[in-house]
Amino acid sequence: MVMLNYVFICFLMLGAVGFAVAPLILERLIAPRKRGRSKGETYECGVLTTGETWIRFRIQYFIYALLFVVFDIETVFLYPWAVSYVGLGGFALVEMVIFLVVLLIGLIYAWATDALKWV
Amino acid sequence: MTDWACATLLFAQEIAPREIPWLAWFLWLLIGFFGIFPGVVAYMVWAERKVAARFQDRIGPNRVGPLGLLQPIADALKLITKEDIVPDAADPIVHLLAPVIILVSSFLVLAVIPFGVGLAPVNLPSGLLYLIAVSSFSALGVFLAGWSSRNKYALLGGMRAVAQLVSYEVPQVLSTIPVILFTGSLSLVSMVDRQYEFGWFVFSPPGFLAFVVMTIASIAEVNRTPFDLPEAESEIIAGYHTEYSGMRFGLFFLAEYLSVFAVSCLGTVLFLGGGLLPFPLNRLAEWMGTGDWPAIVVNIGMVSVFSIKVLGYVFLMFWVRVTLPRMRVDRMMNFAWKYLVPLSIGNIVIAAVWFEMVLRDPIKRMAQVEITGDEYIPPGIGVGLKGWIVTGALVIALFLTVLRVNRGSHASKIKEITESPIPLPSEAPALFARAR
Amino acid sequence: MIQSIFLLFSAIGLMAALGTVLSRNLVRAALWLVAFFFIIAVQFVLLEAEFLAAIQVLVYIGAVAILLLFGIMLTRNIQGDETTSASLNTKLIFGALGLALFAVLATAIVSHKGTPERPAWSKIQGRPDDEAGRDGVLTRKDTINNMAKTVGDEMMTRFVIPFEIAGLLLTVALVGAVALARQVGADEPIDRVRKAGFTRDDAPANGSPEGVAEAPGAVASPSH
Repeated sequence: MVMLNYVFICFLMLGAVGFAVAPLILERLIAPRKRGRSKGETYECGVLTTGETWIRFRIQYFIYALLFVVFDIETVFLYPWAVSYVGLGGFALVEMVIFLVVLLIGLIYAWATDALKWV
Repeated sequence: MTDWACATLLFAQEIAPREIPWLAWFLWLLIGFFGIFPGVVAYMVWAERKVAARFQDRIGPNRVGPLGLLQPIADALKLITKEDIVPDAADPIVHLLAPVIILVSSFLVLAVIPFGVGLAPVNLPSGLLYLIAVSSFSALGVFLAGWSSRNKYALLGGMRAVAQLVSYEVPQVLSTIPVILFTGSLSLVSMVDRQYEFGWFVFSPPGFLAFVVMTIASIAEVNRTPFDLPEAESEIIAGYHTEYSGMRFGLFFLAEYLSVFAVSCLGTVLFLGGGLLPFPLNRLAEWMGTGDWPAIVVNIGMVSVFSIKVLGYVFLMFWVRVTLPRMRVDRMMNFAWKYLVPLSIGNIVIAAVWFEMVLRDPIKRMAQVEITGDEYIPPGIGVGLKGWIVTGALVIALFLTVLRVNRGSHASKIKEITESPIPLPSEAPALFARAR
Repeated sequence: MIQSIFLLFSAIGLMAALGTVLSRNLVRAALWLVAFFFIIAVQFVLLEAEFLAAIQVLVYIGAVAILLLFGIMLTRNIQGDETTSASLNTKLIFGALGLALFAVLATAIVSHKGTPERPAWSKIQGRPDDEAGRDGVLTRKDTINNMAKTVGDEMMTRFVIPFEIAGLLLTVALVGAVALARQVGADEPIDRVRKAGFTRDDAPANGSPEGVAEAPGAVASPSH
C-alpha cells in the first residue's frame, strides 16, 4: 500500500515534535526562572513600546502573496504536465506555452503597473 | 542492462513496500533523523564559524576541545541552561507553536532524499511535490513567530520574511520543472536513476540555468546572506525571532541549519546526480564487467560521494555569505520577480526543446530495449552537441533578454526621475500638508 | 480500520472547523483553518490520493493560508472585540444557511446516480483490487503510483479547455487584484508624497528610503 510510506512520515512528524519539545521541557527543569516586570516587557532596544503592534499593513504584501498563489497554482499545473510530457509530445508543449503566455501577461501587467515595486 | 546496473539503480527501492520495514524505519528515525542529521547540523555551524574566520583572517572557535570541536556541544548546553523568556504581551500558545512548526517542516523535508541505493527513508511517488509542500510550512511558522511576539520589529521581520520566502519559492519550484521533464516522474529516486543513464542534469544548458536559479533561490529560502533581510540586525533587531530566547531560539537556529542541509541535499539530488560519479565514471564498474558488488560497498561509495557534493554545496553557501553584503529590500524582491521568475519560466520551454532534441529518442529506445531485450546503443555524440549548441544559444538569448528588459526599464525610470523638477526644501512643508 | 482512522480525522477536522468559526482572534482563527486544511490533506492520504494531498498542502497551507494571513494584516481588528462578534439574529440566520447548504450537499451526494461505466461512488462498497483492470487500463496500484502522470494525461487531452480557462482565470484574478490594490494604494499618504516628487529611490547613489516607507506607523492608517 502506498499509504504505508505515510506511516513513516507520521512517525517522523511525531518524533520531530518530540525533538522540538524535549529540550524545551529540559530547559524548564534546569534553566533559571525568575520572572520580573521589566523582563516580560516587549524588547525594543531599551525604550518602552508605544502604540498598538498589530496594526494594518500595506497592500503591497498582499499583492506579493496573491502573485505567489497564482504561480503556486501554475506549478500545480506544470508538475503533472512535466511528468506526462514524455508520452504526449509537441501538442502538449503548445498547450503549455499558451498557458504560460497567459500567465505571463498577468506578470507583465503587474510589472508594468509597478505593482511589483517595493515602496 | 547488466545485473550490476540493476543493483545500482535505485529503483531497487519499491515505491510501495510489500511489508512494513519497521526495522529500517526505526533505524532511520533514531540514527538518521534524531542522531546524525542534528549532529551534521551542529558541526555545520562549527564549520561555518571556522570557514568564516579563515575568510576574515581569524582563527575561529579554538577553545573548547581540539580545534574547537566541542564548541557545538557547549553551545547547546548554553542554550538549554538559559532562561526561556516569553514577553507578557505575546500570544503564548502561538509563540510556542511557531518554532515547532518550523523545525518539523525542516525535518519532514529530509524524508524523501535518496542518499544511496535503497537509502531514501521513503520513496514517495510524488516525492518532489511532497518536499515542496512540507517546506512551504516554514513560511507559516515564520509569520506566526513574528506575529505572536507582539513586537513591532518581530512583526515587521516576519512580514518581510514571508514576502521573501513566498517570492523566492516561485523560482525555486519553477526551476525544478526541467528536472521533472527530463525524468518523467516526481519521485526523487527515479531522478537519480535518470541521471545514472544520461549524466548529471547540470551538464545541459537548461539544467545549468535551472541549477543556478535553484541555488540562488535556495539561499534566499533559508534566509542567508545576501538575502538575510528577515533578520537584518542593523534594521529590525533580529527579525521574527527577536522575542525568542534560550532553547526556543535554539530551535530556530537548528531549523535554519537543517534547511541549509536539506536544500543542499535537494540541489545535489536534482542536478548533481545524488551519489553518482560524473557520467562516464558512473558506468566504469559496469564496463569493466566486475559483476555484482555487494550493496553495502556501493552504498558506502555513494554516500561518500553524496556527502562530498553536499559539503561543496554548503561551502558555496558559506562562501557567498562571507563575500556578499546584504541586499536592499526592493532590489531583493525585484530580483525574484523580474529576473529569476522570467528566467525560470523561459527555461521550462528551453528544457522541452532539449528533451525533444537529445533525450526523447534514447528514452524511447531504452523502453524498447527493455521489451525486446536487444543491445542498447547510446546515441552518438553529435546529437548531444547539436542540442548543446541550440539550447545553449537559447539560454544565452533568454538571459540577455531578461537583462535587457530590466536594464531598459531601470534606465527609463532614472531618466524620468532625474528630469523631473526637484522640489526645493522650502516647498517641503507645503507638499507634506497637501499629502495629508 | 482505515475507515475508523478516517472518521477519527473527520472528527478532528470538524473540531478545527469549529475553532475557526469560534475564535475571536483572527490569526488564531486562520491557524485553526490551517489545521483544517492539514486534516483534509491527511484524508486525501487515507484515500490513497497522495498527489492531491501534496497539492492540498502546497496550495492551501503554503499559499492560501499566507494570502489569508496577509489579508488579515490588512484589517484593523485582529484582536477580535465586540465588532467581530455578531448579534444573535445574525448567528441564527447564518447557522440556518450553513445547515441548508449542508443538507443540499448531503442530498446531492446521496442521490448521485452515476453512469453505466462509472457507478455512483456512494454505491461503492470497497476499493478495487490491486490487480483488477482491463487491458490498456491502469490498475489501481499503477494509478496510485503514477497519479501525477494520470492527472497530466487527462489534463492535456480530455480537459485541455478547462485547463486553459483555469490559466485565464488566474490571470484575471491577478490583474483584478493589482488594479484594486492600485486604487487603494493611491489613497495612502506616502504615495502622494512620492507622486509629489519627494522620494527618489530609483536614482543611483541615493539613500534607500524603504526603511521609512515600511515602518508600520507611516502607513498605519491614512487618517493621521
